[in-house]
Amino acid sequence: MNSNVWILTFADAISIATTLILASLGAMITERSGVINLGVEGYLLMGAVTGFIVADSTGQLWLALVASIIVGAAMALVHATLTVTLRANQIVSGLAMVIFGTGLSQFIGKPVEGKTRPVIIDKIKFGTLSDLPLVGPIIFGHDPITYLTWLLALSISLYFHRTRPGLILRATGDAPATVDAQGVSVRRVRYLHTVVGGALMGLGGGWYMFARAAAWSQAATTNGIGWIALALVVFASWRPLRAIVGAVLFGFCLQVPFTLQGQQINILPPEIVSMFPYLMTLVVLVALSTPRARRLLGAPKMLGQPFVRDER
Amino acid sequence: MIVGKTRIQLEARLTSPRWLIVAVPMLSVLLASVVGGVFLLLTGHPPLRTYGDLLNNGYTSFYGLTDTLGLATPLICTGMAAAFAFRMNLYNIGQEGQLYLGMVGGAWAGIALAPHLTPFIAVPVVLVTGALFGAAWVLVPALLRARLGTSEIVSTLLLNYVALNLINYFIFGSRGFFRDPSTPFPQGRMIYESARFDPFGTTNTYPTLLVSMFLAVFLFWFVRSSNYGYETSVFADSPSTARYAGMNSTWLTTSVLLVSGSLAGLGGAMYVVGPAGKVDPGILQIGLGYAGIVVAALARYNFVAVILTAILFAGLRVGGSALQASSDPVPIAIAVVLQGAVLLFALGGELFRRNRVVITRVTESHQVIVGEVS
Repeated sequence: MNSNVWILTFADAISIATTLILASLGAMITERSGVINLGVEGYLLMGAVTGFIVADSTGQLWLALVASIIVGAAMALVHATLTVTLRANQIVSGLAMVIFGTGLSQFIGKPVEGKTRPVIIDKIKFGTLSDLPLVGPIIFGHDPITYLTWLLALSISLYFHRTRPGLILRATGDAPATVDAQGVSVRRVRYLHTVVGGALMGLGGGWYMFARAAAWSQAATTNGIGWIALALVVFASWRPLRAIVGAVLFGFCLQVPFTLQGQQINILPPEIVSMFPYLMTLVVLVALSTPRARRLLGAPKMLGQPFVRDER
Repeated sequence: MIVGKTRIQLEARLTSPRWLIVAVPMLSVLLASVVGGVFLLLTGHPPLRTYGDLLNNGYTSFYGLTDTLGLATPLICTGMAAAFAFRMNLYNIGQEGQLYLGMVGGAWAGIALAPHLTPFIAVPVVLVTGALFGAAWVLVPALLRARLGTSEIVSTLLLNYVALNLINYFIFGSRGFFRDPSTPFPQGRMIYESARFDPFGTTNTYPTLLVSMFLAVFLFWFVRSSNYGYETSVFADSPSTARYAGMNSTWLTTSVLLVSGSLAGLGGAMYVVGPAGKVDPGILQIGLGYAGIVVAALARYNFVAVILTAILFAGLRVGGSALQASSDPVPIAIAVVLQGAVLLFALGGELFRRNRVVITRVTESHQVIVGEVS
């Protein structure tokens, strides 16, 4: 087997990683404020189907992506209302959003099911740079959103660790009472970051639709990518730049079964190979939960805890 | 919070009034139907007539109701599985995978063991084997959670996708034990007749319904009256209190998750004993595991209430399939939309059950007088 195939697989992994990065950045921002959003899978599906429907009726790619972003933000607004204002159980609310999103995307996507996508995201042409061996497909072979996502991860990283609002955000996740005592509204910080997080997840779904999926089909669109993105947040220990590395690694695992199939290599049945990404994610999670790793991770301390100020 | 001249405050209730315990779920169902109605209207289906058909096909007609009860049978099991774990703040969301494994285990016992057993015990053996397979599927996440503190949420969920691929492998990808060898068409091998229940008359309701209802009543009693149930409640409220009181948290965590998994597995085995009679990939389409979480949350982890919410949700599904097949086809996904919406509203409603909303007018009297020297 030639090495070219594996380079292409790796380039593909970088490409598929875009959805994973966007979704886990969204989850990360949300979790940094102390809110868990388990609904990622539902947001991705809704982002994908909304984008598809808008593109199908208008033919405008950018309009479609904006619609994906809005629908993600709207779902996150519901989640924030339930968990921040109404103090509902964050885990159950997130799960409810997965179920609601799965059902609704299937329902509103029914009329366009099986249709091929009306527009696609084109890769940027870098001229001769794209034809370079190795570097060409891996670095210069992607679409604008992929590059934007890398830039986004970098800016969010700077935001977390180099700005004052980022400091307040991290404090809200670790010690909301302190933030409250400083006179900053915990509620506002949580609402804002939950909604922005949801918007990123929506964009992740929209991008996936136009860059990876051939046609809209609820059953085959996300396939658990949302859950892998959640595991990725732990893997990246709530740090945006590490999410890129993790996402490429996870993307590679997702891509390998297809490469093996394409190469007619049948060491293992495809169904068994398809289990690998999920099993690998599980192994990574386990490795990260050893006491030693736990100390290095630094999860937001008040993750999942509603903040209630004693009002007198 | 102060809006204009009114001050809105939440005061925690010590006890929730009885009427609210019933009113919150009822109102949630009503509000969810409004949301569903909007989407129906947008897609050009008259909401009232659609809901009328749904009601008739899912609940009020004889065959509608018996189909619903048949589907509710495994759903009660997955609902109990979710309730048992969630009430201890252990979020096992792998009921879907545990249900598949229960189906595999049940089918294995029905094919391999049933010929050697008297019919009287063949069915219980199939059910127990299914429950054991379900428990085995959650064993690794349970031990990881108890020993290392690995989040059971993500680990149980990831295993759902592994289980899904496993079923596909058994039926579509291989010509193994579980596949019917007599036909090239990919389908499961039937279990022995002696290991199956006959339905009641011409309906699709099976005696397993009584088993799951009995289990629900038993668990309702068990968690209230047994020492074990008490310990899980203490642990749920405050893990540190439980530890100071000398309760074994590793044992509690592991055992609760294993029981949860076995309940979901039992649901899968009931599907084999009843309508399917084999490993049937058709179950992958129904999403009984995920629906179980909604059923449990809506029942507020009360096992007897799980029976009612399971019947409610099974009816949505049965009524929904009838709608899809009707002359004005409505996608069955409307049933899932309604499930999600009911849960979202019920979650919001919890606030009003737990807290009293106090609205007072803010008057001018609390002006602070600055600089008053006496």
